[in-house]
Amino acid sequence: MAHAVRFLAIGLLAFVPQFAAAQSGAISGRVQPGIWIDPDGCMHWVADGGLEGYMEGRVNPQTGMPVCMRVNTCAVTNSDVLFATDSAHLTANGRAQLEQFFRSAGAFAYAIYGHTDARASDEYNIRLSQARAESVANVARGVGARVAREIGYGERRPIAPNDSASNMQRNRRVEIVCYR
Amino acid sequence: MKWAIMRQRYLAIALIGGATVLSGCSSLDRPIASNRDRGFDAKDLSQLQAAIYVDPDGCHIWMIDDGAEGYWSRRRDPVSGLPVCTAVAPPNSVVGDYATGGVVPDIRSAGLF
Repeated sequence: MAHAVRFLAIGLLAFVPQFAAAQSGAISGRVQPGIWIDPDGCMHWVADGGLEGYMEGRVNPQTGMPVCMRVNTCAVTNSDVLFATDSAHLTANGRAQLEQFFRSAGAFAYAIYGHTDARASDEYNIRLSQARAESVANVARGVGARVAREIGYGERRPIAPNDSASNMQRNRRVEIVCYR
Repeated sequence: MKWAIMRQRYLAIALIGGATVLSGCSSLDRPIASNRDRGFDAKDLSQLQAAIYVDPDGCHIWMIDDGAEGYWSRRRDPVSGLPVCTAVAPPNSVVGDYATGGVVPDIRSAGLF
């Protein structure tokens, strides 16, 4: 975990623009914030000013996304286990695994995100991953779990470059976030 | 605001201001705010305990009461970045334990402010 934090910090430093205060006016003070990590694993800047407190979520300057440790992705399932190629129809084994998961995870609600690798068109992959997210969401609802959102991101949010069979397999996945 | 409450607040600010002058700190050197809770129950701010406040739109905000300071920061889904707006409770409810605790009690619940 500590190693991951350091790695992430080094990665983010690359985004920080070189000192540009000269154009933006006189410096009137200095703040030295700390980082607070919320129960979902996302970072927030926090500073104590004596009688005031300041806090704001940390974002990636390029994507606007929150900066999070992977602590609240309840489940990442490889799509090959759940579905046949190009299909949004769950395999018997996949359905059983998901039912077991949604019965035991115990969250208030779930967010379900489908992803594909980069083969086929972007449009096709969006449709396939959306249909797969919906199939997983239907299993959740079937066992009485609340589904907060079900989104197909297609090939747009890879976790690995699509340059080898094993990397493409990593990208074919369904992520489930637990809202506790 | 009632006068009695304002007087208490001004007194507190005056005391802190006086202490700052006495300690001789330059305002340029000292951060306006920092990563430490500077009270006498000082702790690292990474240890804060958060509850969920459900805003009027139904979306979650992390809420922390650290005695003299309060913090709010929006809850966002770590995978999609979207706000989390599940109906854990009606709008304006606070769910969970928002007080970090320590030696200093929450000022408002202690009836000081």
